[in-house]
Amino acid sequence: MSSPSINAEVTAADTAGRWPLLLLFGSALTWLVIASVLSLIGSIQLHNLAFMADCEWFTHGRMTALTETAFVYGWAANAGLGIALWVLGRLGGAPLRAMNWAVVGTLFWNSAVMLGLIGIATGDATSFALLQMPRYVQPLLVAAYVSIGVSGILAWNGRRTDGTFASQWYAVAALFIFPWLLIAAQTMLLWSPVRGVLQAVVDGWYVQGVFSLWLAPLALAGAYYVVPKSTGRTLPSYEFASLSFWTLLFVGSLTGGRHLIGGPVPAWIPTLANAACCMLLFHYAVVALNLRGSFFGGGTALRFISFGLAAYLFGAVLDAITSFRGVALLTQFTYVSAAQQQLAVYGGISMMLLGSIYFAVPRLTGRAWASASLVRGHTALSLSGVLLLVVCLAAAGWTQGHDLNNAKTSFAEMNSHARVWLLGVTTANVILLTGNLILLVNYVRSVCCAFCNTSVPAEVAFRQPSAMEAHAS
Amino acid sequence: MMKNGFLFFVGLLSAFVFGWAGIALGSHKQLGGLAPFYDDSEGSSFPARPQGLAARGQLVYADLGCASCHTQQVRRPDFGADKDRGWGDRQSVARDYIHQIRPQIGESRTGPDLANFANRKMDSSELFQFLRSGIVAGGKAVSHPPYKFLFESRVIVGEVSANASPMSASSAPGRQIVASERAQTLVAYLQSLNTPYQFPEARPVTPLVPKTEAAHK
Repeated sequence: MSSPSINAEVTAADTAGRWPLLLLFGSALTWLVIASVLSLIGSIQLHNLAFMADCEWFTHGRMTALTETAFVYGWAANAGLGIALWVLGRLGGAPLRAMNWAVVGTLFWNSAVMLGLIGIATGDATSFALLQMPRYVQPLLVAAYVSIGVSGILAWNGRRTDGTFASQWYAVAALFIFPWLLIAAQTMLLWSPVRGVLQAVVDGWYVQGVFSLWLAPLALAGAYYVVPKSTGRTLPSYEFASLSFWTLLFVGSLTGGRHLIGGPVPAWIPTLANAACCMLLFHYAVVALNLRGSFFGGGTALRFISFGLAAYLFGAVLDAITSFRGVALLTQFTYVSAAQQQLAVYGGISMMLLGSIYFAVPRLTGRAWASASLVRGHTALSLSGVLLLVVCLAAAGWTQGHDLNNAKTSFAEMNSHARVWLLGVTTANVILLTGNLILLVNYVRSVCCAFCNTSVPAEVAFRQPSAMEAHAS
Repeated sequence: MMKNGFLFFVGLLSAFVFGWAGIALGSHKQLGGLAPFYDDSEGSSFPARPQGLAARGQLVYADLGCASCHTQQVRRPDFGADKDRGWGDRQSVARDYIHQIRPQIGESRTGPDLANFANRKMDSSELFQFLRSGIVAGGKAVSHPPYKFLFESRVIVGEVSANASPMSASSAPGRQIVASERAQTLVAYLQSLNTPYQFPEARPVTPLVPKTEAAHK
C-alpha cells in the first residue's frame, strides 16, 4: 500500500491500519449525521407537541432513546475506537495487528446498533438510559466490541517502547473496561434484573460508567496524543497524569447517583456521588494543567480539542455544583440535566474526538482534507451550534426549575415560558446537523481522493502538523 | 505499574470492580431483600401486587418511552413543591416499587409526576380522549402529544363498543374509534398508579430539637 506522498508525517502504523480505521471514522460520521436528524426531530417535539406524534415509531420517548443510542453507540463508539486503535498503533511503534478482526467487528457493531435502533423504534426499547437497545442485540454488541478492541490490546502488549504514555493508558482502559461494564449492566438489568428501584441505581451507575470509564478515556486518549504533537512541546505537569488517570477510573463511576437526589433510594447513594464529584475535580484539574497548551496553539485539531477541553472542565464543575441538594432542588428533573449531558458528551467528548479525527484522517489518507473551506464551515457551525444548544437548554431548564417549584404555575404556563429557549434548541440542532453534513461530505471526498489515488499536488509536502488539517487541494 | 502490563490490567479491573461493588452490589445488599410490609390491623400486605392488565400496561408505558417526560417519584414534602402540586402526600420509598417489573421512576419532569395518578380520578373515557387528542376534557390547548396510533377506527357491528372513544362522533358514519388493547392496558396501568399506604420509613422524620424546646417551656 504505497502512498505517493511518503514523508515523515505518515508512518507505517498509519498505512497498515489505514482502511479499517477510515471505516471506523466513516461509520462514526454517518452516525453523527443520523443522530443529528433524530435529535432535531426530538427537539421540535418539545415545542410542537403534535409533531410526528401520529407515528408510533417517533413518540418523543422513543426519539430520545434513538438519539442517545445513535449518538453514543453510533458516533462516539466508532470515533473513539478508531482514535484509540490509531493512538495505540502509533505509540506502540509497530503496525497494528489483527485489523481484519477490527473490520469484521466494525461491521457487526454497526449492524447491531442499526438493529437496535429499529428495535427501539418498533417498541422493544428496554427503557434503561443508555441501555435502550433490546436484549437480542446486546450479546452481538459485546462480541463485536471485543473483536475491534483486540487489535488495540495486541498493540499495547506488543509495544516496542520502554516507557508508556498517558494516551496509551486511557486508550487501553477504555478498550478493556467497557466490555465488563456492558456485561455487568446487561446481567443486572436485562438477563436477571434486580428488583425495584435497584434498577434505577444500577442504570445510574452504568450511565456514569459509560461516561467516566469509556467515553472520557477514549476522548482523552486522542487529546493527550494530539496536543503535544500539534504544539510541538512536551506536556507540562506530566508527573501528575497517572494519579489523575487512576482518580478518574476509581472515583468516576461513583458519581452516577447525583441524578437520584431526593429519590426513593438509600440516601448514601446521592451523598456518595456528591463527595465523589468533588474528589473528581482533582482529575479535571490535572487534565487542565497537562493540556493547557491546546488553548495557545493554532490549527483545526487544536481548536476542537481546546473547545472540548473547556467544555469537559466546565461540565465537571457544573456536575459538582448540581450534585448538592440545595442546587438540585432547582435543577433536578429539568432541561438543565439535559444541558449538562450535552455539554459533557457533545461539547466535551465529541469535540475532543473531532479534533483527533481532524488530526488523524490526513495522516491515514496521506493527503490533506479535501476542502479547507468545508473544514472552516464545519468548525464554525459545530462550535457555535454546541454553544447555542447548551445555553438554550440551560436557560429553558432554569425557567422550568423555578416554575416547577412554584405549585401555582401550571404546566401550560411552564411550557410557554420555556418555549423561546426550546426554539433556540431547535435552531442549534439545525446548525449542528448542517455542520455535521458538511463534515461528512468533506470526509467522503477526502477518502475518495485517497482511494482513487488521484495525483497529489506538489504543495502537499507537509511538514508542519497543522498544515495537514486544512489544506485546499 | 504503568510499565508492568499485568499489574496495569489488574489495576483497571479493580477500578471497575470498586465502583461496581460499591454502588451496584452495595445497594443490592441493602435493598435486594426488601419485603412487602404486612399490616396486622388491615390484615394484608403492602404494596399490593399490580393487576395483570396494569402490569402489562407498564410495559407499554416503558416501550413508548413515557419516562422521558414523566417521573414516578414523589420527593418529601419539604423538598420541592411535589406535595403542593398534589402529586403525593408522602415521599416515595423503595418499598413502593418492589412488585414492579420495570420501575419507571424517570428523571425528567417535562410533564407532571405520575406516581399517584390514580388520585386524579380520570375515568377511562376521559383518559382515552386525552391520549387521543392531547387535550384535557374542557381544555383548549394541546398539552400532550396526541397519540392517535393507540386507537383504531372500526366499523360498528351491533352495538357501539364499550371502549369507544367519546370522540367517535368525529369519525365517519357507521364507524367508531376504539381504544386498542395497548391503550386499554396503558390506561389500566395509569389508573393503578397509587401509593396510599404510609410505610414506617415514609413518615417524615420529626426533628427532636423543637420537642425538647417545648418541654423546657
